[in-house]
Amino acid sequence: MSELTMPANGVDRGEEAVRAVRLEATNHEGSFLGKTLTPKKFASGMDSGFAFADLLFGLDLGNAPVLGFAFPDWRGHLNDVYFRPDMSTLVEWEPGRQAVIGDYWLKDGRPVPICPRNLTKKMTSRLASLGFTATVAVEIEATVFEESIHEARARGYRDLTPLGGSAGTAYHLAKSKDWTGYMNAVADRLSAVGIEWEAWSDEDAAGQIEINLAPGDPLAVCDAWARTRQIMREVAFDLGRTVTFMAKPTAGYGQASHINLSLQRNGVNAFYAEEGPSETMRHAVGGLLATIEGNTSIVLPQITSYRRLVDLSGPPVTVSWGISNKTTAIRAVCGHPSYSRLEYRVPGADANLYLALAGVLAGVIAGLEREIEPPEPVAEMAWCMPPGEITRLPNTITKAAAALEADPILRDLLGSEFVDYWIGSRRWEWMQFHTAGGDPSADLSAWESARYFELP
Amino acid sequence: MTETTTAPAAPGAPAATEVDVRIEDDATPLVRLIGRTLRDSARAGHAHLVLRRPAGTVAIRSHDTPQAATITFGDGVSVSSGVLVEPDATITVDLNARFAPVAAPSGDAELAADALLALSPPVPDWQTAAAHFWSAARSVPGIPDVLIAVTEGPDGLEQLVLGEGATHYLIAGAPEALAGVFSGADDLLAVLSTGALGIQGTMSQLSVMVGASWKVRFDV
Repeated sequence: MSELTMPANGVDRGEEAVRAVRLEATNHEGSFLGKTLTPKKFASGMDSGFAFADLLFGLDLGNAPVLGFAFPDWRGHLNDVYFRPDMSTLVEWEPGRQAVIGDYWLKDGRPVPICPRNLTKKMTSRLASLGFTATVAVEIEATVFEESIHEARARGYRDLTPLGGSAGTAYHLAKSKDWTGYMNAVADRLSAVGIEWEAWSDEDAAGQIEINLAPGDPLAVCDAWARTRQIMREVAFDLGRTVTFMAKPTAGYGQASHINLSLQRNGVNAFYAEEGPSETMRHAVGGLLATIEGNTSIVLPQITSYRRLVDLSGPPVTVSWGISNKTTAIRAVCGHPSYSRLEYRVPGADANLYLALAGVLAGVIAGLEREIEPPEPVAEMAWCMPPGEITRLPNTITKAAAALEADPILRDLLGSEFVDYWIGSRRWEWMQFHTAGGDPSADLSAWESARYFELP
Repeated sequence: MTETTTAPAAPGAPAATEVDVRIEDDATPLVRLIGRTLRDSARAGHAHLVLRRPAGTVAIRSHDTPQAATITFGDGVSVSSGVLVEPDATITVDLNARFAPVAAPSGDAELAADALLALSPPVPDWQTAAAHFWSAARSVPGIPDVLIAVTEGPDGLEQLVLGEGATHYLIAGAPEALAGVFSGADDLLAVLSTGALGIQGTMSQLSVMVGASWKVRFDV
């Protein structure tokens, strides 16, 4: 049995006695869930795992049970699934309190087929079997408001005041101290728990920020992403502010979660070639394009996610790739062994990065294994193209779910249990939106604000 | 638009000419519900004169949610989401009470009455409805092998067993409640919440049955 005396990662804060350990993991919706345990209780279950009711994968964001499709055999009458901690993620979250990330397993030792972290691990392992490792980075976008979460709740999360004012768009340094104070506090907390960040800045919309975490292996970056969002929320609570990762917190700008990715083989960037994309990069693009319509369901998980897909507004709207072309869905950055990479630009800020990355890696793997050649890159602007010129991304939750259902590659690589469960839950979401108060004719309905602003 | 030409009327029903009932692509649940209901009317030979109206635009609004749709008569019937043109009539209805109006319609009263008539197809008896439900639902992945519908008839308990195999699912209730759910006229979860139906099976089976009920109610 492991011992709890092992040092937590992060900055040494001295000999503070551990009073509690928090278990952390995301569910399929991307919500960060867990329990806080006494050290004794944690020590007793470190190897055997900790029981959670399967409803953590069975409730929607309105706390209603998700119905409408066949459950897999592990979903019974609130059966238990088991959280197993990954002790390499143990950190001191705050003095006397530790936190550890883990994943969910079934009683028979199989991974829960829809456990996001296990799916990421499954894809990185498959990629390794091809001789590649991936380095990824994620851009975290969020919007911060002056009001406290209590005030935001009282207002239905609407008509809030963007922190830092409403003047300017992107990169402005002339921000009031309340805005920089929030981000400095976030950066300090990240450093304190050992999360390496590279940059943060003012983003396009009023109150919007972007923070970039250091590139790393997929699992580590996903773990850092989940904790960074938690820290951003905790700092907002502490300072009496509100932060949201909703795809569109207002009827104005949306927010994304672009994924940057490169592949290494024997320590060398396999995406680099002297002139243009390498063959490996081309095949990766081919696989990503072959799966992009089905993957749209995974990286745009909510009703509001699809409100972002507006030509000329920033997000990609077409099944496309281009070299140094940010109007396409997949931007290839070529020309240097240290930064040749792909930027997958479809995901919204509301995507669960574990699942999004699993889907992206599945596309890459398919491209490599099947040597899928992509079409010619798009050199023009990939917005507002004439009808029939280029395939457009699915622009509703139902169209995207249908695309995923029709995708044999993602079913093969991610597994039918995940695909069927995900599609069923998206159809439930669609039904709930329309029949329980959502308004498709509104720019952003109150139902969406209530459902998506705070969680995931 | 998705186009559906209704099948000929059932034997004994008033003769129905073919009626095109069209719904838009990627339709909302309300548009699907209206389209399916109008097709049921056409199939039953119900309100056939209304369904062949040469013109008329009717807005249907939910009384308790933002759901709205537009029915356009003329060259068949088309149903689309929202209310994007000024309708000739507007009806606010309770979608969990088979389109029962909750207030007097506005606009063209005759057109509104026609629309409500077209949205009120006769509900078949519970056995016929159950057989129709089973025919539509038996291919849904995970559906139990056997559906048992039970009700209290004039001579005691009546039971209808559909399908065969190891896994069973039982639904019990008054004949009207069974007919409403099996025909798609009523929403399974809404009826369950009133206590008008009893069910016996697993939670997974309930989940599948909800999906099956969507299939007959919303044609999804």
